[in-house]
Amino acid sequence: MTALHEVPAEGGGGDVKVPDADGRVPVVLLVNGAPHRVHVRTTEVLLDVLREDLKLVGARNGCGVGMCGACTILRDGRAVSSCLTLAVLCEGADLRTIEGLRGGGGEGGEGGEGGGLSRVQRAFLEHRAFQCSYCTSGFILALEALLAVDSHPTEAAVREAFSGHLCRCGSYSRIMAAARQAAGLPSRGGLARGAVTGGVTGCAPDEEPGR
Amino acid sequence: MSQPLVFFPTTVAEAVEVLDRYGGEAKVVAGGTAVSLMLQHRLIQPAALVSLQRVDGLREVGRTEEGTAVRLGALVTHAEAARHPFLRSAAPLVADAFAVVGNPQVRAAATVGGVLTEADYASDPPAALRAIDAVVIAQGPAGARIIPVYDLLLGFYETALADNEIVSSVVVPLLPEGAGSAYLKYSSRSSEDRPCVGVAAVVRQAPDGSCAEVRVVLGAIAAVPVRVPELEAAAVGRPLDPAGLGDAYAEAVDPLEDVRGSAWYRREMVRVWVARAVTAARHRCTGGPQPPPAG
Repeated sequence: MTALHEVPAEGGGGDVKVPDADGRVPVVLLVNGAPHRVHVRTTEVLLDVLREDLKLVGARNGCGVGMCGACTILRDGRAVSSCLTLAVLCEGADLRTIEGLRGGGGEGGEGGEGGGLSRVQRAFLEHRAFQCSYCTSGFILALEALLAVDSHPTEAAVREAFSGHLCRCGSYSRIMAAARQAAGLPSRGGLARGAVTGGVTGCAPDEEPGR
Repeated sequence: MSQPLVFFPTTVAEAVEVLDRYGGEAKVVAGGTAVSLMLQHRLIQPAALVSLQRVDGLREVGRTEEGTAVRLGALVTHAEAARHPFLRSAAPLVADAFAVVGNPQVRAAATVGGVLTEADYASDPPAALRAIDAVVIAQGPAGARIIPVYDLLLGFYETALADNEIVSSVVVPLLPEGAGSAYLKYSSRSSEDRPCVGVAAVVRQAPDGSCAEVRVVLGAIAAVPVRVPELEAAAVGRPLDPAGLGDAYAEAVDPLEDVRGSAWYRREMVRVWVARAVTAARHRCTGGPQPPPAG
C-alpha cells in the first residue's frame, strides 16, 4: 500500500488529490453561495464536514446509511443524503443547507417577503409540523427541491418527495398540512390553513398516518 | 489508516490508465452512495479512488444507432432513468426498477453503471436488466467489449470486470412488439429498504391468446438474478397461467436467507409475486393478442 501511495501524481489520470501527512486534502466547497476552503479526509462524508468544520448543524446525523432523510441537503438543487456523499467529490457543486434558505430571492423559497424564512419554513412553523424537529430540515429541503422544479405539485408528488424522510415523532399529518399550504394544495379537514396558528390547537383530527 | 488518493480523470481512457496503474488497489466511484458506505464501514480500503464525475459523455440517454435499443450512460442517475420518457415507453420494467430503489435522495445520486458494478444481490435494476437481456459496454486498456448483464454478475459483489475496466454505458433492448413487462418489488421491512424479493416479467401473447413468450427473473433471492429457462419454455403455447407460474417458480428456486426473510418465507413470496408480476406484465401487453413474429 505504501508503495502505491508513492505513485507520482503526474503521468495522466487528470487531476489528483494526494492526502497530506494527516490524510487530508484541500477542498473548496460552495455552501449556501459562499466558498469554504476545508481540509478533509478523502473518505469523509459531507455531513461530517458540514457539521464539524463549517458548524452548519441543520443537517442531522440520523441513520447514517441514507434511509432516514435527516441529513438531506440540496446538491445542485436536488435533495441528496449528505451521509452518502463524499466531501472530496463536492467541489464545483452548489451545496445548500437549511441555513441557506431565505425568504425573498432565496433559491428555493420564492415569494416570501422578509422574515428571513422561506415560504416552506413559515408553513412548517405555522402548522407546528414537528415535535422534536430532528427531521424537519430534511422534510423542508425535500419540499424546496420539489417546488423548485414543480411549482404546483400534486399531493402524490409531495408524498413521493417525502418518501425518503422519517419523522419518528409521527408528526406526518401536520407535516402534510404545512406542505399543502406551501405547495398551494387544498387543505383538509381540521387542519385547515391557519387553523393551528396562534394558540393552543386542541386535538386536530389526524389524517391517515404517513407511510 | 492512510487515506486514498482521489483521481479526477476527464476521459474514460485516463480513468482506465489510473486503474491499470493501481492493479486492483483503486476503486471507481460514480454516484458514491455505495462506495461511501463501504469506506465508512471499512469494507474496502482502496489506495486510490477514481471519480468519474468529470468524464464527459457518460450522462446521455438515447436510442442506439440501429434504433433497436436504448443506451444509458454509466453516470445516468436512477431518477433520470426512472422518468426518462423514451426508456419508460421502450422498456417500462427497467424504468420501474430504477424508480423503486431506495428513496428519492438515493435515486438522485446513485447511477446506472454503479448499481451493476456494485453487484449487490439485493438490488432492483439487475433483475429487470437481466430480463430484457441488457448488455454493458466495458472499456479497458485494449478497448471496449460487450458483456451481457447475465455474464457480468458472477456472485456476491463480484463481476466479470477486470481491475482495469470500467462500464461506460448500459444498452437496453427495446421490448418486443406487443409485449408487456413489469418489475415488482416486495419489501419486507420498510419502504426504502432493499428488496426481499424482486420479480421482473416480460409477457407476449399469441393471436389465440396463448403465451407466445414469458420471461421471469427473480432478484434478491440468490447471489445473482435467477432465471429458469425450462419454466419459460414450458409456458409457451399454453394459456398464460400466472398462479401456476408462481407455484412452478416457488418449487424451482433455492432462496437464500437474510434479515429480509427466511428461505421458506422467500419461497412463499416468490409464489405470490411471480403471479402478480406476470399478471401486471400481461395487462401491459399492447394491441391485444399479437400476430406471430415474422420469420
